[in-house]
Amino acid sequence: MADQSGINERQRELFIRKSTRVAAAYLKRAKELAELPDAAKPFFDVLENTYVNNVKEITGLEYTSPSDFTRCGAELLRMADIQKPEERKSIGTLCVMVPAELVYAAGAMPVRLCSGSYTAYSIGDDYIPRDACPLVKAVMGFGKIKALPAFDNCSLLVAPVTCDCKKKLAGTIDSVKDTIPLHIPPLKKDDADTEIFLKELYRLIPLLENVTGKQVTAKSLAEGINMVGNAQYEMSEFLKYRRHDLSLMSGTQVMAVMNAYSYMPANIWAEQMHRLNEEMKLRLSQGRFVSRKNQPRILVTGSPIAFPNIKVPLLIEEMGGVLAADETCMGERGLYDPVSVIDASFDGMMRSLASRYTKPCTCPVFVDNSQRIYRIKQMIKEHKIQGVIYHVLRGCLVYDYEYQLMEEAMGKMDIPIIRVESDYNEEDVEQLRIRIEAFIELIKMRTSA
Amino acid sequence: MEKYYLGLDGGSTYLKAALMKDKKVVGTVVYPTGIDNNGVAKKIVAALCKKYGISRTDIGYIMATGYSRKILEVADDDISEITAHAYGVRVTAPKEYRPGMVIDIGGQDSKIIYLDANYNVKNFTMNDKCAAGTGKFMEVIAQILETTIDQVGALSLESTSSCDINSTCVVFAQSEVISLVARKVDRRDILAGMHLSMAKRIIKMMKKSEKGGDILMTGGGALNTGIHRAFEEEMLKDVYVAKYPQFNGAVGAALIASERNEVSLRL
Repeated sequence: MADQSGINERQRELFIRKSTRVAAAYLKRAKELAELPDAAKPFFDVLENTYVNNVKEITGLEYTSPSDFTRCGAELLRMADIQKPEERKSIGTLCVMVPAELVYAAGAMPVRLCSGSYTAYSIGDDYIPRDACPLVKAVMGFGKIKALPAFDNCSLLVAPVTCDCKKKLAGTIDSVKDTIPLHIPPLKKDDADTEIFLKELYRLIPLLENVTGKQVTAKSLAEGINMVGNAQYEMSEFLKYRRHDLSLMSGTQVMAVMNAYSYMPANIWAEQMHRLNEEMKLRLSQGRFVSRKNQPRILVTGSPIAFPNIKVPLLIEEMGGVLAADETCMGERGLYDPVSVIDASFDGMMRSLASRYTKPCTCPVFVDNSQRIYRIKQMIKEHKIQGVIYHVLRGCLVYDYEYQLMEEAMGKMDIPIIRVESDYNEEDVEQLRIRIEAFIELIKMRTSA
Repeated sequence: MEKYYLGLDGGSTYLKAALMKDKKVVGTVVYPTGIDNNGVAKKIVAALCKKYGISRTDIGYIMATGYSRKILEVADDDISEITAHAYGVRVTAPKEYRPGMVIDIGGQDSKIIYLDANYNVKNFTMNDKCAAGTGKFMEVIAQILETTIDQVGALSLESTSSCDINSTCVVFAQSEVISLVARKVDRRDILAGMHLSMAKRIIKMMKKSEKGGDILMTGGGALNTGIHRAFEEEMLKDVYVAKYPQFNGAVGAALIASERNEVSLRL
């Protein structure tokens, strides 16, 4: 029996079999890179729940409990329930411009739906033009196939109008999920630009309140800001450990931890992050490192790297590099900069949100995005980066556009940079491998010369 | 006694080997890759030992490169093609060559490597998932024109007016060439057109920002005088050809093998 989207039950069943297998395989590869810190295991459990277990359970397939529940197992089970709509409403978001603080203030849980699923990508491919980016295809794919509870349980999708692909996605995904397009000013320098966004955020409030039946108040907004701020504080603490010359944790695993933020309430993520920081402190005092001295320290930037599409970070580390930092929107970008409230009135807090989610944002959809180069230069110094890998997803024009500027800036700093283009499939792994391997050799030769 | 060092370049079409001693090339061999990379590699080692009257223990270190580099059991270690080619140039480039750009045309890929004045790799670009601008392209066209890949260079140099081949895709170019043949166009003109089209395709891959130094061609493709001429015409610059171009990767791997034993290079 075919539903409106033309997808039948059998197709869905096969989809689930494949997508859960791919997700589980990537989790396994990431876990095997280096000894996974105990405190990082719950984050992996969240990804496993989201992409494997919950999918199987809800769709009536065989359910296996997460492999290695640890100290906070009970909390996690509670948290996993949050993805079930009767416990708490969730609001789907895309990109990094939807203020999570506002969603929490309305009593809902924000869930980032930018996905890296190869299986969902191939479904979305039928609904989206060939040259569009794979990320929007994956999101559309999940919308059509209805096999990701984290997606299906969202009462609403807030879709920022950012790049062309996301803009058209916002206009078309409405057919499978109630969607609110959120206007993002293409310019961000002047106060007038922030005013536009502020109006948008005010427009969003009643729409969120409608879903939850709860009011956004000054108190709840302050709580939301506080909650996300705590997560950002723990992240900034974590970055201190990440900067260490010898790595305390594999960079791919770090990216998985940051990816898990998409599917966890900020307070629980922060609590677990605190435990991870404690463990990093312990590893540091015991001198338990996961990298050796002559391994090149690499920064990844460019198009989003969303789970399970973690082939680039995996290849970097499997070929002997250290993924020391990332400037990507699924990674540090959303987490490094807290909202700073100067005026604690309701409007003051709203203004702080509008400012935080536009001005320091390093997304290349903005006309002038010199902040991104500035930020990367800063990260190169802080993380002692020796080379930059610039990831471009097929069809992702805005990031590709900024490559030349980045190459110029890196040339001046004498930091080698390569551009690797990739898509949501596993066919290009060997092409990526040879480039990444040669790049790592290039850095080693430079340092040994 | 100074040891021998062996570089193995397991390419998509051929497996190439270079034996070196005292940083000089002693000998080279090439075998079709076939389906058993590992078996061919073993045969090559045995054949080289026999030819030069040495035993396996006289070879100090074996370095593999190329597509099959990770599966060659006879090798002590492996290195990417980019690094191997950059190293090979140290031995194979003519004396007057000032390090700058290396164009490598292989059987199934082509790459451009940018070197600094000390032959260190600065950057590189490779073709994406497509056989345009590779040896395969020449092979397919040669077949339609009832000639072989070793003849196409000389034939194309006899052309008086090269024709245009506009398709970059090998399959589309193939049908374009078939229609040219049907129109009784001289095959020498078609071949000249093919070389120009390949050169243009590869030049598009070049980075405008990388300037300085000379241009050197390596890889099996560099044996083709037609493509060499096409590059000079398109770039309006002298293009050098490496000594033993087909073995450049293997020579580079052998050179790294010798340095590896001198502990100067620990990757």
